[in-house]
Amino acid sequence: MKVTLEAKTGSIQPYLLLAPALAILIGFLLFPLMWNIYLSLHDVSLTTILGDWKYVGLKNFDNLIHDHDFHTSLQVSLIFVGGSVALQFFVGMVLAVVLNQQISGSNTIRALFIIPWTVSAVITGFSFKFIFSDSFGIMNYGLAQMGLEPVAWLSDPGIVVWTLVFANVWHGTPFTVIFLTAGLFSISPVVYEAARIDGATKIKSFLYITLPLLRPFIIINLILITMWSVNFFDLILVMTNGGPLFSSTTSSLFMYRQAFEFGLLSKGAAVGFLLIAMNLVLAYTYIKLLRSQDKTVELRQ
Amino acid sequence: MLIEKTLIYFVIATFLFITFAPLLWVLSTSFKPNSEAISFPPKFLPDSPTLDNYLFVLTDPKLVTSLFNSLAVSLASTGLSVVVSALGGYAFARFDFKGKNLLISTILGLFMIPVVINIIPLYIMLANIGLLNSLFALVLTFQILIIPLNIFLLKNYFETIPKELEEAALIDGCSKMRAFWHVIVPISIPGFLIAAILSFRFSWNEFVLPIVLSNRPDVMVFQVALYQFISLYRIDWGYLTAGINIALIPVVVLMLFSQKRMIRGLTLGAVRG
Repeated sequence: MKVTLEAKTGSIQPYLLLAPALAILIGFLLFPLMWNIYLSLHDVSLTTILGDWKYVGLKNFDNLIHDHDFHTSLQVSLIFVGGSVALQFFVGMVLAVVLNQQISGSNTIRALFIIPWTVSAVITGFSFKFIFSDSFGIMNYGLAQMGLEPVAWLSDPGIVVWTLVFANVWHGTPFTVIFLTAGLFSISPVVYEAARIDGATKIKSFLYITLPLLRPFIIINLILITMWSVNFFDLILVMTNGGPLFSSTTSSLFMYRQAFEFGLLSKGAAVGFLLIAMNLVLAYTYIKLLRSQDKTVELRQ
Repeated sequence: MLIEKTLIYFVIATFLFITFAPLLWVLSTSFKPNSEAISFPPKFLPDSPTLDNYLFVLTDPKLVTSLFNSLAVSLASTGLSVVVSALGGYAFARFDFKGKNLLISTILGLFMIPVVINIIPLYIMLANIGLLNSLFALVLTFQILIIPLNIFLLKNYFETIPKELEEAALIDGCSKMRAFWHVIVPISIPGFLIAAILSFRFSWNEFVLPIVLSNRPDVMVFQVALYQFISLYRIDWGYLTAGINIALIPVVVLMLFSQKRMIRGLTLGAVRG
C-alpha cells in the first residue's frame, strides 16, 4: 500500500488549517474594505458613531470634489509619491548594483544599509524633524558653516514636501536595495561571462542583460514602493502634521485628519475609497506599461 | 579598474554617511540635557553628557507602561501570527484542494491592501463591539500586517522540505497532523524564526493602528507614547531622543542578527510567490 502525502479529495483538513488565517483576514481586512464603501455613502461622524446613520448617497464625494484642501492634498501626494518613488528606485538600483560587485564585506555593508528600513516611521519622522528644524537643526548649521543662507525646511510650503521626500527616501530605499539584490542574485554569472566574451562593456551588459532580466522584480518593486508612498502618512503626521496649514498634507494624511481630527468619519471613508482606487490604477498602469515594453522588444527581434 | 573600485567605495561611503549621520546625531543628542539639545550652534559631542534622559524614559510611569504594552502586543502578535501562518502555509504546501489557487491569489491580493485604508472602518467596527482601547483587539488587528507575508514565507519554506520525511512518518502510522508536529515543526525552526522576526518588527514599529484604535494612556504602545511628546509648545528633545534610541534597540539587534536569513527568505518569496 502506497502511503502518500496528498490528501484524499474531499478532505476538509486543508480548509481547517487555513481557517484561522482566513477568518482574521476576512474579518479585519476584507470586510472593513467593503464596509468602507457603505460608510462613504452615509453620514457618520465621531458623534454619531453608535447611532443611526443617514444615507446621503454621493454627497461625501461631491463635498470632496469641491474641497480645495482635498485638491491641494492630491497635488502634494503627486509630488511626494513621484519624488519618493523616483529617488528610492534610482538610489536603490545604484546601491544594489554597486554592492553586487566583487567587494569584500558587501554582506556587512548591506546589513548596515538595511537599518533605516527597520526603524519606525515615528523615529524617522522625529529624527528628521530635529535635523531639519529651522532654529536648532543641524542642517541649517551646516549650511551656515558653508556660508549659505538657512532654509526653512519644514515651514516653507514650497520646500516642505521635498524635505518629507528626503526622509521617506532615507527610510524606504533599503527595501528596493534588498529586493533588487534578490533579483540580481537570480541572474547567473555565466550570462555576464558570455557577454564579456562577446565584447560587451559593463554598461552595455547592464542595460541589455541585467535590466531585462530584472524586469519582474522591477515591476513588483515599483508597485510596492509606489503604494507604500501613497499610503504613508505617519511620517508626515510626526514631521509636520500636514502643515504649514495643508501644504504638506498628502491624500492619505488628509483622510486621517478628516476622520480623526475633524471627526468626519464618512468623509474620510470617501477619501479612503479614492485612495483604494488610486492604488489599483497605479498597479494596473505599471503592469500594463512594463508589459507593453516587453512586446516592443519581442517585435524588434 | 582602480577608478572603478574607487568610485564604488566612494558611493558606498557617501551612502553609509547619509544612512548613519542622522542616527548618530540623534544618539549624541540623547546624552545632552534638554536645554543643550536645542542649543545653537549645535555641538557634535555633548558638553555635559548625562544619562538623565534615559533615566526619565525608563522611570516615567506612562512611558514604562507603554514599553510593556509594546512588548506584550509584539510578542503575542508574533506568536499568533507564526502559528496561524504555519498552519496555513502547510495547507498550501502539502495539500491539493478545490479553490487552492483562488485562495493563494486572494491572500496575495490582500497583502497589497494598505492597512491605512482600513483604519476608519476598523475604528467604527471596534467601537461598535466595545473593543477600542483593547490590547487584545490590537493583537488581532496586527495580524493583517503579517499573515499574508508569513503564509507565503512558510509555504515556500515547507516546500523545500522533502516529502519523504513525512511519508516515512505516515508509514509508521502517524496521522498527518502528528507528522507535521513531530517531523516538520522541529526542522522548520529557521523558517519560523524569520517569520517571527518579521512579525515582531512590524508589530513593534506599528503606529497607525494603535494611534487610531488604542490611544488611551494605559493601553498606549511605545511608538504612540513617543508621539505624545509633541506638546503644544515645545518638545523635550533630550527625552525624546533617548526614547527613540530605546525603541531602536530590539529592532536593530534583530535585524543585524538575521540579515542573511532575511534576504534568503524574501528571495524565496519573490521567486516562488
